[in-house]
Amino acid sequence: MSSAQIEIQLIACLVAVACAIPGTFLVLRKMAMISDAISHSILPGIVIGFFITQDLNSPVLIFLAALTGILTVVLVERIQKTGLVKEDTAIGLVFPILFSIGVIMIAKNANDVHLDVDAVLLGELAFAPFDRLLISGVDVGPKSLWIIGSILIVTIGLLIAFFKELKVSTFDAGLASALGFSPAIIHYGLMTVSSITTVGAFDAVGAILVVALMIAPAATAYLLTTNLKRMLLYAVLFGIFSALSGYWLAHWLDASISGSITTMLGLLFLVVYLFAPSKGIIAVLYREKQQRTEVSLLTFLLHLKNHTEERERHVNHLSEHINWQKVRAKTVLDLALKNNMILIEKNIVSLTVKGDEFTSQAIDYIITNEDAQIEDMKEDFFLFRG
Amino acid sequence: MDITEYIKLVFTDYTLRTITLGTAVLGAVTGMLGSFAVLRKQSLLGDAISHAALPGIAIAFLITGAKDSNVLLLGALVSGLIGTFWIRGITTKTHLKSDTALGLILSLFFGFGMLLLTFIQKQPNANQAGLDKYLFGQAATLVESDVWLMAIVTGICLFVLLLFWKEFKILLFDADYTKTLGFNTKFIDILITSFIVLAIVLGLQTVGVVLMSAMLLAPAAAARQWTNSLSVMVFLAALFGAFSGVVGTAISASQNNLSTGPVIVIIAGIFVLFSFIFSPSRGLLFKHIRFIKNRRDIELHKTLAFMYHIAETHENISHPHAVKILNNFQGFTKGTLQKLVDKDYVTIHGNEWSLTEEGFKTAANLYNQQPAPNE
Repeated sequence: MSSAQIEIQLIACLVAVACAIPGTFLVLRKMAMISDAISHSILPGIVIGFFITQDLNSPVLIFLAALTGILTVVLVERIQKTGLVKEDTAIGLVFPILFSIGVIMIAKNANDVHLDVDAVLLGELAFAPFDRLLISGVDVGPKSLWIIGSILIVTIGLLIAFFKELKVSTFDAGLASALGFSPAIIHYGLMTVSSITTVGAFDAVGAILVVALMIAPAATAYLLTTNLKRMLLYAVLFGIFSALSGYWLAHWLDASISGSITTMLGLLFLVVYLFAPSKGIIAVLYREKQQRTEVSLLTFLLHLKNHTEERERHVNHLSEHINWQKVRAKTVLDLALKNNMILIEKNIVSLTVKGDEFTSQAIDYIITNEDAQIEDMKEDFFLFRG
Repeated sequence: MDITEYIKLVFTDYTLRTITLGTAVLGAVTGMLGSFAVLRKQSLLGDAISHAALPGIAIAFLITGAKDSNVLLLGALVSGLIGTFWIRGITTKTHLKSDTALGLILSLFFGFGMLLLTFIQKQPNANQAGLDKYLFGQAATLVESDVWLMAIVTGICLFVLLLFWKEFKILLFDADYTKTLGFNTKFIDILITSFIVLAIVLGLQTVGVVLMSAMLLAPAAAARQWTNSLSVMVFLAALFGAFSGVVGTAISASQNNLSTGPVIVIIAGIFVLFSFIFSPSRGLLFKHIRFIKNRRDIELHKTLAFMYHIAETHENISHPHAVKILNNFQGFTKGTLQKLVDKDYVTIHGNEWSLTEEGFKTAANLYNQQPAPNE
């Protein structure tokens, strides 16, 4: 590995971590799309900054861009408060218009300089090591490394200092304001951090990857845990993993680094989405199927309990009477047999003592709807686990 | 270039005519379908889908190796639909909320599309140049066949809309009720969503990925302010959309270096701003005027009530009092006093006021009567 490669990977990891932290809170606060809006609407801020300083690397650009990001949030809130449109429409209106203004400003005034809409949106991580920071003539490393590093340090500092406030206001805004934390300050603080992170990172990796790095690791982590600290940790780890593996994927395919990091994030999400232990699609589908079978089982047991006559309890009769297909009837019958709830003698089904007790308990539960009735049954059945 | 000259040019110049027609048709169809997106609270779906269409374009190109815009749009449509249904899968099957799902699909698909695009660019095939026009849109690349395609899709869309109007309408406002009535809500839902995706994909070539969401939302959001009727809203939105397209094209054509997409979006934005402020029933301006008028009415009532309580203590209700008494009462202004005089509730002689019989009666009943309707 050359030093440039190491630097690129380091920058990618720092960006991933810096994005994952505010991203986690954005996802939890249902404001994920705000990051997308900010990442587009900072364009006019950058352009105006460029007109003022005529220098693409000036900190004024970052400042103005961050300011435009906050302006976006304020505008969205203002529009929403008028009650004329819903929040999502407000977001969807504000950022394309700001973006359009930026594009037109570039087209009208800055066509001949290196300020490219493609570059803003897509970024190019591979060029990051070429832009060095020189302090009195000494090369101290790539500029983006320093920018994103300082943003990350500030973010971590704020996270540690205001963790409790963030946590309470995220999960219970009412409690937070009752306890005396101003939700507005936390809200705008988070927005400012997201905005600055977006601006600091887009230069290196492009606006879309910023969005991906903010939302995807947090969303993936959210499928695995409901503990905030753990979610933050997982998000950070997923971010770093995708940054590193994405870099090598790009190296191998000779394609855009941002694109391959995003692709890795996507693959990671897909895997977790499918296979997460309790919230993955497969687990959810299995649980739904299991619950359906158990509802059928219960219906079946109730039927047996309600009918003493043999005609109603004949094996062949059951499937037509309860109107199940053959396969499901068999599944249910097997399940009941396996749990020793029924006895089949000469094709006549009858409840065992255990089955009878179980059915009575279930009826009690359905009538009284009290959890205590079924405490001991929860172990065996999905149905009663909520 | 003045307007008559421009209009003449629209009819004679092939490129300008094509672009003007194209953007007008596009604006109409996005406005029409956008109304449904806005009312269904799916406003950001447009943004997500337009980004999600990118890998489809790239894969269609990789498979066919040709840059036929219909094939690419088909690819965009397929990947847009996959994105849409994945968004739905995420929101229904997991506890992730819709904004997270939208942001996820948007950024992940787009990133994957970028990966494919850069991969394509490294290929020896020289045919790939110009694929990135779908990112930012270039109305100038529209040709007549594109406009025909748009017109046909708009026609189909209009036909389906009219055919299923009742179903769409009821689904929009009461989905549960629709289900209980026995309509196949899933089918209607998929139908409308597919058309929204189709409209977005059509617009990619003209206004590009980023601005597509505004094309979908702005005309609808503007139209919403002027009416409470769905059919009027859809019609107005189509009109606003078409108009933004035409005006935007005209402005961008009349100046150098002005890309069409952003100008159209800004024109649509101006429509929204205008509607927000000046719409008679919901607009901010009239709302504020109503607010001020209501406050004045209340102050008038307060003054009258105050006078009533003073007059109450005297045997003769028309006993004159100095205006000065009212000075330490805040609801009173010269204007309100004059209004009371105009209504014959009060008479004023010099510096003294006195309640009339009618004023006394009105004031006595001020707080125990319903306001007359239409006042």
